[in-house]
Amino acid sequence: MECLRESSLTFFSDQRRCCADVLPAAEARARIEVAVLGFLRTLTSRDPAISHLPLINRTSSNSRVNHGLLTDISWIFLSHSFCTRSLMRANAAKAFIRVWKVMEMCYQILIQEKKVTQRELYYKLLCTSSEYFTSQLQVNKAIQDTVALLRCSRYSLGIMASSRGLVAGRLLLQEPNKEIVDCCSCGSSGYPISGDLNLLEKLIMKTDARYIILVEKHAIFQRLVDDHVFNQIPSILITAKGYPDIATRFFLHRMSQNFPHLPILALVDWNPAGLAILCTFKFGSIGMGLEAFRYACNVKWLGLRGSDMELIPEESFTPLKPKDIGIAKSLMSSKLLQDKYQEELAFMTETGRRAEIEALYFHGYDYLGKYIAKKIVQVDYI
Amino acid sequence: MDAVRTIPDLCRRLISFALRRCRASDDLCRVSVALAASQLAGSPVVRISISDTGAACCLEEFRDLRVADPRIFAEKWDGTLAVRTTGASDEEVHYYNLNLKEGGTDNMLTRLPSIAKNGMRFSGTEVCLSVSEKFEVLLGEIKQFIEKVLILNIPNIAFELVVQHENVYKSCCGDTFLPSESMPSPFSASNVERLKYGFEDYILKRRNNLDNNLGLSSNAMEHLRTGMGSICSSKISERQNPGLTVDAVIIISEFSDQTSPCSMECGHQTQVLYFKDFLPSTISKSSLIALKSIDWKSYGLTLGNVMDQGGGAYLEWENLPPHAHIDVIFHCYQAEVNFPPSKLKVLSERSLLKKAAKLALDDMKEKHSGILLSDRALKIQSHAPDLARTLAGLILSSNDMEFQGECLSLLGLQMGVGADIVEECVLDKIDAVIVLNDRKPERCKEPVPFLFEDDCLQEMDFEDECEEGEDSYDFLDI
Repeated sequence: MECLRESSLTFFSDQRRCCADVLPAAEARARIEVAVLGFLRTLTSRDPAISHLPLINRTSSNSRVNHGLLTDISWIFLSHSFCTRSLMRANAAKAFIRVWKVMEMCYQILIQEKKVTQRELYYKLLCTSSEYFTSQLQVNKAIQDTVALLRCSRYSLGIMASSRGLVAGRLLLQEPNKEIVDCCSCGSSGYPISGDLNLLEKLIMKTDARYIILVEKHAIFQRLVDDHVFNQIPSILITAKGYPDIATRFFLHRMSQNFPHLPILALVDWNPAGLAILCTFKFGSIGMGLEAFRYACNVKWLGLRGSDMELIPEESFTPLKPKDIGIAKSLMSSKLLQDKYQEELAFMTETGRRAEIEALYFHGYDYLGKYIAKKIVQVDYI
Repeated sequence: MDAVRTIPDLCRRLISFALRRCRASDDLCRVSVALAASQLAGSPVVRISISDTGAACCLEEFRDLRVADPRIFAEKWDGTLAVRTTGASDEEVHYYNLNLKEGGTDNMLTRLPSIAKNGMRFSGTEVCLSVSEKFEVLLGEIKQFIEKVLILNIPNIAFELVVQHENVYKSCCGDTFLPSESMPSPFSASNVERLKYGFEDYILKRRNNLDNNLGLSSNAMEHLRTGMGSICSSKISERQNPGLTVDAVIIISEFSDQTSPCSMECGHQTQVLYFKDFLPSTISKSSLIALKSIDWKSYGLTLGNVMDQGGGAYLEWENLPPHAHIDVIFHCYQAEVNFPPSKLKVLSERSLLKKAAKLALDDMKEKHSGILLSDRALKIQSHAPDLARTLAGLILSSNDMEFQGECLSLLGLQMGVGADIVEECVLDKIDAVIVLNDRKPERCKEPVPFLFEDDCLQEMDFEDECEEGEDSYDFLDI
């Protein structure tokens, strides 16, 4: 699969694809230096001007889907549509300055050969430039702008992803020259997935599992780990505790590469948000579209699905909120979903109801393990 | 012409006639105003003589002279004017007595015996009258009027004001030979240039007087920044030679001594001075209101009220820095059109006023970098120091000496120079671009280069710029 992707055959869709390169520190620094020199040259030229920053557009209008021709994997990628950040637009001048400030920070981080998290970067920027950075979200957006400008991955800029993901189950992990970690005996929290992609890249993985179970929520993950479900069904459990961060996606992708015959089965809530989380693991995302396409995996939807509704007591259903409808609409229009997913989503919106996985506990606390097992045995996943 | 309302009004009218006669003459001329004050049966009497060496008086102007308030005849003036006039080719000096009190369609004109010139060639007019008016009031009004006329800097006219008070001769205002000393080549200068120099002198003199009256030293003075503009409408018809022209001069002055009471008095109000056909006049209400529709905001100014009060037109500003003051003057007149008629449009005085004001503002912006920046430019400029600091940080934190060297050499700096110098250098350059950009009208702006100019960028479609708050990530965007 991998060599097909890296083959020299460039299909039309690949020519349209914009990606963020994974670069060593020296090259990332060089790109920043090119940016500075370019800016200064224009500023000191005979017709001095303040350059605009061209950023790859991270919007749905610039996103395309690559439906794998020879594989089952599809992914979202971004094409060559640009938006600009400019100092000369008075209301958007701050966004322009934010990109330069992030570049300055990253440049210094790269020189020091350090890695920082987005949170650390936020606090640093808050102290030095509080007028420009007032929230973590603004910092994250400015970082994504920098990625879109320099077209190198966030990790190449010295910024680590958050370490939010957890893995547990029948998996042996070993960092080079370190002790082997058995993810069965990591306690109910499991093994935390590092935000350092380099480290994750070097992990040696071994497994005797037959399935990878991707869990949306931390609480469900803990319940399954506590019950040692991974022993009842030989499996690896993984969660990002909500929105999939890049590190967890990266780790899942590595597992899928190392263990290509292990189906990845997702257990998400019955609501558009749950499906969206599944799709992010499956296809990547637009927000990180320059990088995330690399980590798309063939994730299958185990549950909760329309057919499980009879298992859920009436009282456990709640109405869909306007935000849910919005997410459903954007999923429908994204051209991502295969027919069966679209049918499920349509059913969800038609009935106008949502339910959480915990609703299954109505049948007993150990019901979840049985539910999963039954579905797997019946190959009831799409 | 309107009827005169007061004695000072009458004097202004008579001086205007004298000015007109001087302008009609090609020679160097002089206008003299002499005031002799005395007492007559306990009441103050002032004998006024207004004389000029211009073209001969045609008497038409006197026929149309009217007094609005008949009480003037009862209290202040008997209505008579003694006129002596002669033309260059006349053999005699003609004497007349005019009586405005008679009223009617024709002011009562009495011819008096002429006096032979005995072959001497000269032209001129003298008009005399006696009034019961407070001397100081009259003197003050006449002085003010002459000072205003001096703004125009008409090169061939000199003014003289002579005062005799209780048998003591005193010459006020001196022999102010026009043009002002600061103006080079007065005779070849254009009307608007003369207006500019005259206005600058007028403002400086007025400020000096104000400060002196308050006992302050005139050293705490200001920096004047001037802009001028002139615009001409085309001929209305083939037979007309002159076209309607408006000259505008705008001066922004700053008080270096911010605690000066003058700065607080002059403050945020601007009196709009207006001249019509080389005479001080009052701006029409419609023209005044037209000034409101100028896009002052693009020059960083916010105009509040436009007021017409007590014989003066005023503009009130909302956001002037406390120690700054704006002065504005317009001159509307008929002038020879030098441009081919097809290039000009026929425009109303109101349109011309607006355009002239805009030209003056643009001229000031062009001459004085960094002034009259639009709100937009000021906002952008406020971010410039942060950008400069960031770039300086990027350059100096590098451990690649080649990169650092190249950056510094682009900025014209040496290696090893301090961070504050690099920052200042970058800031100057950024500011210069902001100011330059602010001067150009939107339609003339060239496309700005993008940071990474590569071929593939040229081909692609560009979406609109991302505005703040527009990046609403939908759920899929993590």
